[in-house]
Amino acid sequence: MSAGWARPRTLRARIVPDFLLPDLGEGLEEAEVIAWRVQVGDQVAVDQIVVEVETAKAAVEVPVPFAGTVSALHAAPGATVAVGQPLISVDRPDEASGNVLVGYGTAGLSSPAGSRRRQAARGRGGSGRGGSDRGGPGRVGPVPVVSPLVRKMAREAGLDLSTVPGTGPAGIVLRGDVDRALRARRAPQPDIPEDRPPAPAAPVTGTRIPLRGARKTMADKLTRSRREIPEATVWVDVDATDLVAARAALNARTPERPVGLLALLARFTLLALRRYPELNARLEGDEIVIPDHVHLGFAAQTERGLVVPVIRDAHLLSTRELSAVLAERTAAARAGRLTPAELTGGTVTVNNYGVFGVDGSAAIINHPEVAIVGFGRIIDRPWVVDGQMTARKVTELTLSFDHRVCDGGTAGGFLRYVADCVEQPVTALGDL
Amino acid sequence: MTCWPISGGLAMTTTLDHPATAARSAPAPVTMAAALNAALADALAEDERVLVFGEDVGALGGVFRITDGLAARFGDQRVFDTPLAEAGIVGTAIGMAMNGMRPVVEMQFDAFAYPAFEQITSHLAKLRNRTRGRVELPIVVRIPYGGGIGGVEHHCDSSEVYYTHTAGLRVLTPARPADAYRLLRQAIASPDPVIFLEPKRRYWSKDRAELTTSGPGIDQAEIIKPGRDVTIIAYGGTVQTAMEAAQAAAETGWDAEVIDLRSLSPVDDATLVRSVRRTGRAVVVHEAAGFCGYGAEIAARLTERCFHHLQAPILRITGFDIPYPPPMVERHHLPTADRVLDALARLQWEDQPDERWLGAAEDPAGADRA
Amino acid sequence: MTAVDHGPTPASQPAGTSLLPAPTARQLIDPAGRLVPAGGPLPEADVLRELYRRMVIGRRFDAQATALTKQGRLAVYPSSHGQDACQVGAVLALREQDWLFPTYRDTVAVVTRAVDPVETLSLLRGEWHCGYDPYQHRVAPQCTPLATHALHAVGLAHAARLRGEDTVALVLVGDGGTSEGDTHEALNFAAVWQAPVVFLVQNNGYAISVPLAKQTAAPTLAHKGVGYGMPGVLIDGNDAAAVYASVGEAVARAGRGGGPTLIEALTYRIEAHTNADDATRYRAADEVAAWQARDPLTRLETYLRGAGLLDDAAAADLQQEAERFAASVRERMNADAASDPAEMFAHVYAAPTAQLIEQRDDLLADLRGLGDDDDA
Repeated sequence: MSAGWARPRTLRARIVPDFLLPDLGEGLEEAEVIAWRVQVGDQVAVDQIVVEVETAKAAVEVPVPFAGTVSALHAAPGATVAVGQPLISVDRPDEASGNVLVGYGTAGLSSPAGSRRRQAARGRGGSGRGGSDRGGPGRVGPVPVVSPLVRKMAREAGLDLSTVPGTGPAGIVLRGDVDRALRARRAPQPDIPEDRPPAPAAPVTGTRIPLRGARKTMADKLTRSRREIPEATVWVDVDATDLVAARAALNARTPERPVGLLALLARFTLLALRRYPELNARLEGDEIVIPDHVHLGFAAQTERGLVVPVIRDAHLLSTRELSAVLAERTAAARAGRLTPAELTGGTVTVNNYGVFGVDGSAAIINHPEVAIVGFGRIIDRPWVVDGQMTARKVTELTLSFDHRVCDGGTAGGFLRYVADCVEQPVTALGDL
Repeated sequence: MTCWPISGGLAMTTTLDHPATAARSAPAPVTMAAALNAALADALAEDERVLVFGEDVGALGGVFRITDGLAARFGDQRVFDTPLAEAGIVGTAIGMAMNGMRPVVEMQFDAFAYPAFEQITSHLAKLRNRTRGRVELPIVVRIPYGGGIGGVEHHCDSSEVYYTHTAGLRVLTPARPADAYRLLRQAIASPDPVIFLEPKRRYWSKDRAELTTSGPGIDQAEIIKPGRDVTIIAYGGTVQTAMEAAQAAAETGWDAEVIDLRSLSPVDDATLVRSVRRTGRAVVVHEAAGFCGYGAEIAARLTERCFHHLQAPILRITGFDIPYPPPMVERHHLPTADRVLDALARLQWEDQPDERWLGAAEDPAGADRA
Repeated sequence: MTAVDHGPTPASQPAGTSLLPAPTARQLIDPAGRLVPAGGPLPEADVLRELYRRMVIGRRFDAQATALTKQGRLAVYPSSHGQDACQVGAVLALREQDWLFPTYRDTVAVVTRAVDPVETLSLLRGEWHCGYDPYQHRVAPQCTPLATHALHAVGLAHAARLRGEDTVALVLVGDGGTSEGDTHEALNFAAVWQAPVVFLVQNNGYAISVPLAKQTAAPTLAHKGVGYGMPGVLIDGNDAAAVYASVGEAVARAGRGGGPTLIEALTYRIEAHTNADDATRYRAADEVAAWQARDPLTRLETYLRGAGLLDDAAAADLQQEAERFAASVRERMNADAASDPAEMFAHVYAAPTAQLIEQRDDLLADLRGLGDDDDA
């Protein structure tokens, strides 16, 4: 309903405000009073129903917009009131000053706190709050840092300032301290003095595409991964004929809930991670931390470039559920509808680069994860089955892994297990 | 007598800078007092609505000779002395402006303007607003302000913040002779009431520049020395102090940018912000007391607008929080180039934090003391 | 430009003697409505009738404004009930080219000068600090500070003389306001400059609650004129004819280049300072009653009826006209004032600064957000 009384923004304070009959429906002109719910002398609260009126369209209960004591009812039951005419008068509550020598007084000029909806700080600068900026036990408040610029540096690098020893006077964290901490997070390497970049060559002519936004973020991430992680890659060719058949059988059974190849690969990966949980870990300082959940990331190619949506607690999903979520997230990624929360927090990544028409990939690990599993195109290739050369549906599985968290035995074991699942899907049955 | 040091960064002309005009002689040196006098004369000549009045501005030509010769040239109906009553001077100026004149009045010294404070803050600043723009008061209140002339009691106040805090007033303050001409002409031409603060210790500074109205606008600050490492913000009497400090700072390896604010209200946020985002460091220099002083507003605004570019806190070099002291100890109170340099040194170069406030909250500067 | 003599008082007025007020207040019509020939020539009949008419309207308007305050339609209203002769008599003595400089109590004078009544009440309603264009009827804005406007009047009048224009400024000030420094400075400047200003002091005996005896030790306020070198005139402020005649003479003298005049009008404020004041705390009921017996409307009505210049029919017509005027004001004041928050930023300078625009846009964005909540 639109307000027929003074809009909250006009400062018309009155000693005894009249509530005028508002327009209760589009273009209404009058209403008949059916019954009063209050009488003169009653105390009323804001939005309390005070009267029932009948309009051309319906019977309506009308709430009063202010609080106080009813001092007058301006129409008897059965009377018709025109829109904009006074309906009820309410005396101001006692806390107001009433008229003062030089003005209207204190009533009516302030609104209660919280009557405005405030925009929640949804991820706007929210990353600065919480643990990473506060001191450890015993320290109250933010870690003292030499300047806002350096604090920002640390935050953008995801560096917990409470872990940085401050060498400035009174323990202030200096820029040098942050620099050192960041270098220590990378792979153990001797300190390399920063090189002066060579003088830039003359600019190349041609098309220039700026590296910005999501593209830049991904570029930085990939660079960091290669810079910090000592990775190794293992790969194996597998006969996927039985898997392809199994998938066809699954989908024939319930075509309305199809299962894709990526979902099957993902499911096998999840099973394999139970046996080889190190490949789901992350490095924190000098510790390998193995979570008890799997947040599965998968690479999706969109117009805006490579995007890695994350499916949280993927280890709890069935294959069909996984497939459905994968499809939905892929569509969302292509439409640009994913939120930052849905793009971060992964513990391992799977990657179908076969869609590009290639067989193998020494993929880049999605920092700060430690493993990325992928498979290439499935094509007919010559294969030896029971001693006979024949054509089978063959694909290549690859695993790039952070060699700090495990050795070839683990990595090879993991990949072999996934390969076994692909070649004989029944293998997986034992671990379901 | 102080001369503006000739250096590449200053907005000055010399015969060396303009060889093409070598045939024409360079402008003769002109003091700030003479520049202001010329501005008044030119304004009086160009617009018959302009009036100049106050105490002793007529026959005497003003206690600082700023109005010298004007009464003789323009007659005592345009340039005249009033009874000794500052509220009366500003109040009648308001009435004259209501009736179409453009009064330029003089308050003889900074603190003598206080009796006119009500007229200035209750009416000069408010009549346009009170009447929804129907009443316009194109009035200039000229006030010699600041110390550094060995003036005895009550002659050296720096009261700019009372006026900058009053919405509806423009507050201008020139620092250099040629700019004084420009700024006063702009003030007289402005439709808004202007408090025009003249740094009296610079009345005798000289410039060799053309007196012209072209140049920075009435609400623009001017970078009078570009630099890379730190922004020194000053106005009025301390601009010269800032320049001296900048020159000395160069020897330490700090390339300082010096900004002459010119307009205290409204303030040129854009120039300040561009500069400080570039340099990442800033200090403000003013004579008036630091507490609730103009530098506090600049520091707050720049912190809000440049937070992510700041390498160090914004420091203020100011007078102490005391009534203006007697001449014999005045030099300890006024900011000097040395004090500016001390502040520059605290700007966290080489990743060294400012150690001034490392003490406990109850005694923040305690860590510094033995 | 005409030559303005900034020197001492012209020799045509020997220092001291003719500047003092007469021992008794000038009166043309006494409280009983009888002619007082010693007061001087009476204004013309149609002037007297117009004085009465405007006082009737003014009195009705004053009552209406008081009522509006009680209804919460005005924040405050300082009444001039009882001072009607000054409010009307002084304004009608002005010519069109003259200026009126009122205080916050002189609302009836402002309305008598033909400023639109609703625009006039804008200040007291709280819609804007001044709702009328000062240049339209040459009325300076009302405001709260006392006596500061006197200096504005002197400056405006002086500027008129510099330009060779015949403009007189009438300053209204109360007995309390004469203690303010700006009154002193204004009287001094006006006399030194021989500015065409008429200072009319409405001495109603009280500055809110402070009586005249605590305001001055001078024999009368009119006596102060001699201190500045200007004539001081004492008049019965409840006698509209005397007010009209005295102000008119002072205006004519000023217009001729004769300089300023200080007129003290003895009158009384029947109502309290404003509706929120309790005058019983500092005034006795019989004092008020005594002044009600000297009511300016009653005495002029009595005279007019006696002189055959007013009959019942005419009086009834006047009452109706006053009622219509009050009703029109009432109706117009019943409509909500349209206040636009953006206007707060529009008239700080000739053109808003970037910072003001930013603040305004922030506020408007806030209000739009609040509006969205309301419409949800």
